[in-house]
Amino acid sequence: MAQVGGNPVAAATAAGPYIEVRDLEFAYPKGPRVLAGLSLTVERGRLACLLGPNGSGKTTLLRILIGLLSPSKGEVRLAGIRLADYPRGALARRIAYVPQETLAAVGFTALETVLMGRSPHTGALGFEAARDWYAAREALRLTDAGAFAERGLEELSGGERQRVIIARALAQEPDVMLLDEPTSFLDIRHQHAIYGLLRRLVKERELTVVCVSHDLNLAAAYADRLVLVSRGRVAAAGEPDEVIRSEVLSPVYETPVEVRRDDATGRPYLLPRPPG
Amino acid sequence: MTPRPFTAGGYVLSIVTWLGLWLGVAVVAVVVGGRLWTWGSPGQMENVLKLRLEWVATASVVGAALALAGLAFQALLRNPLAEPYILGVSGGAALAFVLASLFVSVLLAPVFGFFGALATVAIVYAIAQRRGRLEPYTLLLTGVIINAFYAAAIMLITVLARPEQRGDIAVWMMGNIGAFGPQWGLVGVVGVLAAGAAVLFAFLAKGFNLVAVGEDTAGALGVPVERLRLITFVAASLVTGASVALVGPIGFVGLICPHLLRMILGPDHRRLVPAAMFFGATFLVLADLLACL
Repeated sequence: MAQVGGNPVAAATAAGPYIEVRDLEFAYPKGPRVLAGLSLTVERGRLACLLGPNGSGKTTLLRILIGLLSPSKGEVRLAGIRLADYPRGALARRIAYVPQETLAAVGFTALETVLMGRSPHTGALGFEAARDWYAAREALRLTDAGAFAERGLEELSGGERQRVIIARALAQEPDVMLLDEPTSFLDIRHQHAIYGLLRRLVKERELTVVCVSHDLNLAAAYADRLVLVSRGRVAAAGEPDEVIRSEVLSPVYETPVEVRRDDATGRPYLLPRPPG
Repeated sequence: MTPRPFTAGGYVLSIVTWLGLWLGVAVVAVVVGGRLWTWGSPGQMENVLKLRLEWVATASVVGAALALAGLAFQALLRNPLAEPYILGVSGGAALAFVLASLFVSVLLAPVFGFFGALATVAIVYAIAQRRGRLEPYTLLLTGVIINAFYAAAIMLITVLARPEQRGDIAVWMMGNIGAFGPQWGLVGVVGVLAAGAAVLFAFLAKGFNLVAVGEDTAGALGVPVERLRLITFVAASLVTGASVALVGPIGFVGLICPHLLRMILGPDHRRLVPAAMFFGATFLVLADLLACL
């Protein structure tokens, strides 16, 4: 690719870890520290899940990774370049975000919602080309949401809406997808469908996925890498086998757990045990 | 309705259609209104047409300004009940207008009204901003407080005014096209501001859509949410202030036109912005024509 004028973003390479977070600290104004020296790396084309108790800083970390919040200390690099050095639009073409709660916009259909994912790719007035519609339709197909493309977002069930929001992120055609509890409203079939889809995209398109999850078993079943966050720091990180262990999880979640192994997949899974 | 892509061709076509509708209605309003007024005294036709032309031009620029401002405030505040006067801009203009007409001169009152509106924009911003950020709820609350204050002040002045002045104040507070003599200069100012706001909002429309979906989503899709809010607030307040200075606080148009358009066009601001300008103009010209009957 021809380079013009040494634009650092255009020169971004895939060498080294794709997402690199170093010594991140963050506090909301007048609030306590949410992140206290958090570091982690995610390789390109991997599916990483962020685990951790409520209030451990997962969502804050995600919001920093998208550029919605600026850290008070430390830095984030994407493809070797500091996040702060990316122009807004360039970042939006690289990173897609699936937020935890999505406000139903007044009257937009599922298709219109997904087309909004094309926003970083369209011009200032927002004219759409055939390419944009193709990407939107394709995204709806991938998330199994094509059947209700023309229905209003408010008419859809929570799970259907969630698939539309994921489709919007896919229509963005990003390198990195950040998801905040993407399966919390989904039934078990669609939970597996979404994680299966993420796995496929990671494999086929070298998408890098970071996903906050409270479902440790789903995370253990699909992720390449688990990062356990506790009190604003990384308590443990590694392959599912290294993190899904009772001596690692019990102290962080402050509740007894029992870990077993799924003979069919070889992956660990977890049984909560009532305390006492 | 089958969904259709938002393309440059469709955009131009829709603008031409709305423009045509407005032009047609405006011509009819000039001629029909002229005939209604000259019933029985045809000799005055030329002067009457001139006057009609001015009224229709005034109604057009004010209607366009208010519909655009209403649409923008509804997007900015994420509130379907928002309208151009919700943040107190009209109150500021009204107070300055009334004071100027009592103590300076009725002819200069519109100019004072405009500066009253500008001062209000600054006051509301100073109260509502937190570290330079504008939050919709804080803005709304500030508007309610400012409006209450201005209403009280205007009531006090009305009570203290001489009886013959009270009539003027009441007429102006109702909102009135053409009540205060020829003002082509101000009509031009409002027209230029409204056209400028239409162009500006057309470029912000993509962002309005995304902010409606959610702030984080908008930010993640590359919209500078804070800057969008600030620009929208200032621009919408400016056109509102200018139109209030010209004709007083005409209600209803700024609230209803965006909603009527949503029923026709859906929620997409890229389609709503150009339509609002021409539809607002058409709407107020028709309302003024009805008032001629």
